[in-house]
Amino acid sequence: MGFWLELVASGLITGGIYALVALGLNLQYGLMRIMNISHGEFLMLGAYLTWLGFTVLGVNPLVATPVVALALFAAGLLVHRLCFRPLARTSPSVEAIEARSLLVGFGLMYLVQNAAYLFWGADLRGYAFLAEPVEVAGARFTANRLLAFGFAVAASLALLALLRWTLFGKAVRAMMQSPTGAQLVGIDTAVLHPLVFAAGLALAGVAGALLSMVYEITPSMGEPYTVTALIVITLGGLGSAAGCLAGGLLLGVVEALGMHFTNPSLKMLLSYAVFVAVLVVRPQGLFAR
Amino acid sequence: MRSAHPWRFLVAAAAAAIGLPAFAQDAPVRIGYAIARTGPWAAGAQLTQEPNYLMWADQVNAAGGLDVKGRKRKIELVGFDDRSEAETVVRTYEKLMGSDKVDLILPPWGTGANFAVMPLIQKYGYPMIAPTATGRRLLGMKNPYFFAILQQPDRMMEALAEFLKARRVETAAVIHVDELFGLEQYTGLEEAFKQKGIRIVEKKSYPLGVKDLKPVLSDIKAKNPDAFIALSYPPDTFLVTAQAREIGFNPKAFYAAVGTAFPVFRDKLGPTVEGVMGLGTLNPKSSPAAKAYFDAHVAKHNKEPDRWASAHAWAALQVLEQAVAKAGLDRKALREVIASLEFDTVIGKVRFRNGENVSTPGVVSQWQGREFEVVWPPDRATAPALFPKPHWR
Repeated sequence: MGFWLELVASGLITGGIYALVALGLNLQYGLMRIMNISHGEFLMLGAYLTWLGFTVLGVNPLVATPVVALALFAAGLLVHRLCFRPLARTSPSVEAIEARSLLVGFGLMYLVQNAAYLFWGADLRGYAFLAEPVEVAGARFTANRLLAFGFAVAASLALLALLRWTLFGKAVRAMMQSPTGAQLVGIDTAVLHPLVFAAGLALAGVAGALLSMVYEITPSMGEPYTVTALIVITLGGLGSAAGCLAGGLLLGVVEALGMHFTNPSLKMLLSYAVFVAVLVVRPQGLFAR
Repeated sequence: MRSAHPWRFLVAAAAAAIGLPAFAQDAPVRIGYAIARTGPWAAGAQLTQEPNYLMWADQVNAAGGLDVKGRKRKIELVGFDDRSEAETVVRTYEKLMGSDKVDLILPPWGTGANFAVMPLIQKYGYPMIAPTATGRRLLGMKNPYFFAILQQPDRMMEALAEFLKARRVETAAVIHVDELFGLEQYTGLEEAFKQKGIRIVEKKSYPLGVKDLKPVLSDIKAKNPDAFIALSYPPDTFLVTAQAREIGFNPKAFYAAVGTAFPVFRDKLGPTVEGVMGLGTLNPKSSPAAKAYFDAHVAKHNKEPDRWASAHAWAALQVLEQAVAKAGLDRKALREVIASLEFDTVIGKVRFRNGENVSTPGVVSQWQGREFEVVWPPDRATAPALFPKPHWR
């Protein structure tokens, strides 16, 4: 029984990391149809800032994480102002926003990634923080993975509550359903739009900060994370906070069990099999209405 | 400025056109290469390979230039970013050798990229001494211009088997990355272990980019092997080490392949690395030449080289330098010299047979404190091995 617990828990924790990676993009693409393909690059930026703070200034990564979130939030406002506001204004429809933002996202991806190469070089970086194993109910986990998992769950639930039960959340959902309609009923989309976008970037930054404790980092680390994020939010249902969490956890558990009972080399096959199966049964994703 | 001395330009152009000997003497030796500065290969390429090229050109030029059959000529490096794309590697070398007609080339980073340019170097006749290409498959192509200076997989795995056998290890569990590298290493390991009578109780492969290996490690822990061997790439080397510690899996010998020799392995994992073994060749304690190499590298780049292939990259340049001194820039003659002579390098004597460096033995290294100590073979060891491995810290 302890063995099963450990296996499933290990899958859940990895799944939590997947969900964590997807949180920010879920806000941007899920709620606003901004296909920010440079999501992983901003995650990488968060990782580098945390690493820099720890190795150069000696700042505790836990202290650095909120600072990174603020910095990325500010960057998000700036990026929105420079790129996505004009884009949203000149696009005739939500579909056009989606297609055009993809191109802008690619541009941002190259820009941010190459800036990182310029500043920090291509070397692998990393630092040891909260890497000690912690025993939970007979199973052992490293503290930094538990932290990432905990944050993913907490942030997903907070987001869920925010979107479902607050006026702010209602306004955000209204903006997604019909930008013009939202304006007609008095929602200030000119404020809300950049705020939600920047919050997405801030979440990417936090994910990067937490992942930098677990994995080593390089300027090219972002792209695979973007792919993971896209799979998770599509699986969970675009824009659904609960779906994002459930999608990530499902992938993690299926991979853990699959790797144990079959061969780890089949990991990709298993994840995509789940992905395809869910989309066949529920094309709109697990939790989307 | 430009309009002040138009005649200067004209004279220079005229001189270049008729090839005045006075100018020809000073012409630099142009050495071309493509290497990853961006993309997924960049981390390895920028740690192990390109820093050596830059340092070498600097050092040689500071000493007056490259000795081309007794005549000193400056080195001009013509380096491009291959963006971690095999097509870009091929296109760039095609341009360097086909239309730019550089004097010499240096290899790209990694087995895949080297594999991709091998047909080209044969077509254009440029010798290439590769420090980051492993695999019998490459040598099996019998390309007369290709020289592999890194120890081949079977050689490294034989050394590991000998080391373990000498310590009466009877059982081992192996995981390997699902790539040509992992497969080649595994083939070498299987053969070497069979000869030495070490039983492989578990063998699993895993894909590149894996984020969690705990389910596999838990299984292996339950089988309680004497030795654990991960034929891994850098991200999984870090992962498997951190996760073995996480679940408290502490076999008598813990070995992971590529990446253990990187300084960042120690920096990222801290005291966890104590007793972890891996692919290595030397460290600053190996010889005064090795110490000088490490010091110069840190002085130039403000970072340490790795303890495995970096030294081979440097040795490849030393071989090239000595060969050019003998044969000049006639590339056929150069190839003959590289293929037939013995060279003195930072990794010791190097001699090639059928394109393979047959002088450098397989080596096993192990982290002890802040150094990746050579623990096998005995005549190259810089410290006695910690065996059994101390418990995870």
